[in-house]
Amino acid sequence: MHHKLASVLNALGIGVGICMLLTLSGLARGTLFEISDRAESADADLIVCPSGWGNGLVTRSGVGLWEKYAEKINEKHGNIVERIVPVFIWPLKLAGQDQQATGVSPEMWYTLTGGRKLSEGRMFDPNNKFAKWLEKELLTEAPEDGPVEDLDLTEAPHDGLELVIDSRLAGAGNYHVGQKVVSANHEWTIVGIVPAGVFTRVFMPRRTAQYIFGDSILQCTFMFIKLKGGCDIGPAAAAIKKTTGQDVVPLTAYRGMLQAKFDILFGIINVINAVALSITFLFIMITLHTMVLQRNRDIAILKASGASNWCITRQVMVEAALLTLGGMVLGVGLSFVAGWIIHTLMPLYTVEITWQWIAIAFGAASAGATLSSIYPAWRATRVDMAEVLAQD
Amino acid sequence: MDGDNEYILTAEALHKSYGRGPGRVEVLHGLDLAVRKGEFLAVMGPSGCGKSTLLHVLGLITAQDSGRVTIGSRVVPNGNRIRTELRRTMIGLVFQRFNLISVLSAEENVDTSLRVRGIRPDGRTGELLESLGVSHVAKRKPGEMSIGEQQRVAVARAIAHRPKVLLADEPTGSLDSTSGRALLEIMQHANRDDGQTIVMITHSEELAGFADRTVYMQDGILVDHN
Repeated sequence: MHHKLASVLNALGIGVGICMLLTLSGLARGTLFEISDRAESADADLIVCPSGWGNGLVTRSGVGLWEKYAEKINEKHGNIVERIVPVFIWPLKLAGQDQQATGVSPEMWYTLTGGRKLSEGRMFDPNNKFAKWLEKELLTEAPEDGPVEDLDLTEAPHDGLELVIDSRLAGAGNYHVGQKVVSANHEWTIVGIVPAGVFTRVFMPRRTAQYIFGDSILQCTFMFIKLKGGCDIGPAAAAIKKTTGQDVVPLTAYRGMLQAKFDILFGIINVINAVALSITFLFIMITLHTMVLQRNRDIAILKASGASNWCITRQVMVEAALLTLGGMVLGVGLSFVAGWIIHTLMPLYTVEITWQWIAIAFGAASAGATLSSIYPAWRATRVDMAEVLAQD
Repeated sequence: MDGDNEYILTAEALHKSYGRGPGRVEVLHGLDLAVRKGEFLAVMGPSGCGKSTLLHVLGLITAQDSGRVTIGSRVVPNGNRIRTELRRTMIGLVFQRFNLISVLSAEENVDTSLRVRGIRPDGRTGELLESLGVSHVAKRKPGEMSIGEQQRVAVARAIAHRPKVLLADEPTGSLDSTSGRALLEIMQHANRDDGQTIVMITHSEELAGFADRTVYMQDGILVDHN
């Protein structure tokens, strides 16, 4: 460790590998967990979705379920169901990327978000004017399951094409209340901003979403169900499933479903991490091996002084440990810097660097450093004193 | 070899060769040597006669092909562990090119030598550097010292653990005559005042004059000088 610059550069090389491990894992998990956290923030216990969606629920959008199931559930299970919130999910491109937008009735928005208050502006279509106009236009003149007519929205109340977005999206897109944005071939007005942490980053009136993006304003994507207090989720889910014939999943399963859906992503990231760590450890091995070759004479002198093979081995392993420790410190520091850069450049991504992952990285690096130092250490013990010292 | 108890270091019928097959070169041809406790012995001989090889065999740096080396009352076995142990406790080595570790200071070089032997340096290093007149370079690295200072530090390192035998391979080879004589005076002082047994290889008759006895080598064996 007496060649300071070389040691720092070596530690930096290890640090880059550690940083890659922490940042990639942190980005993948952070972003998915942030989505999961938001989903779990919904004040509901169950999700009713079309039969067979399974884990796909977490990425589905558009038409899925007839709203009449809500009446059926209320009718049969009114004793255990507190409320039902149908939502229509559709992606809207905002701040340069697709955002899952939730179409929800304004009066149900508060229950869906657990009474969350807007930090700026107001709720979209606050008096349901647009929804009522749409229902009048479509439901009084068309059969319930008939095709949606093309309406002239210029005659409609203006409250329909309004959005509430979360503060993070507002920051990422520099959006403010009153701003007009074009997405999905419509001009929308941002009327409210809610603190980040709600179900999706974008909310719009449900009827608007159903009319513009669905086949019928009577179909939603799925429904949230809030059960009455003290009601067991499992039996309730089974009962509702039996009644509707649709899938009923607990909201708490959302995180697992999301992770299962992105299993392949985690797999790829794990492979990348394994490759990065392998390269890092190969780097440690080459570095130590080079050091051993460069210090043949020093090693021979130590051996001539009576240093045992274990003493020499320990010396190499201590160097590996110090390099790894330095690399770990640099790597953890760099990963926080990388996280900050990602957050600054791409505010909608979350990099979550946890103590658990730092410990995992530390364990992997320690094991790797030990393994990587075995061959160089063995080489060091094989230095031929007579040959090296004879080169006087 | 009468009165074996007087001898601290003996070599009997030493054979040592390098290489294999047709390229094999035999350097030591059944050499016998006995060094008394407290003796200052000079080994002289022409280049290539096997002096350094002899020193490496006696210093347990390399193993002989056949023959026997005894240090103290112990016959040196082939096992690495015992050889390392003997090297650690019984022998001190001084090389022509000093072989100080370049990234360590004078003090650290001596301390390291003690530590690998399991000895805590305490004040020993400072005392030695002081007595050898190089305390002023204690914090300097070899590259920042004169040749003479480096060799004195190398001697300090070699005797710091109070070895039974100090083996010196042309210790003045890289020094000018004044520094060479000064170093020999130091070694002579260690021999006379502290009873340090020394085996020194040299080309110089003048420097060999510092020793109690001089032996001559030719073609891998000791010969009668006359």
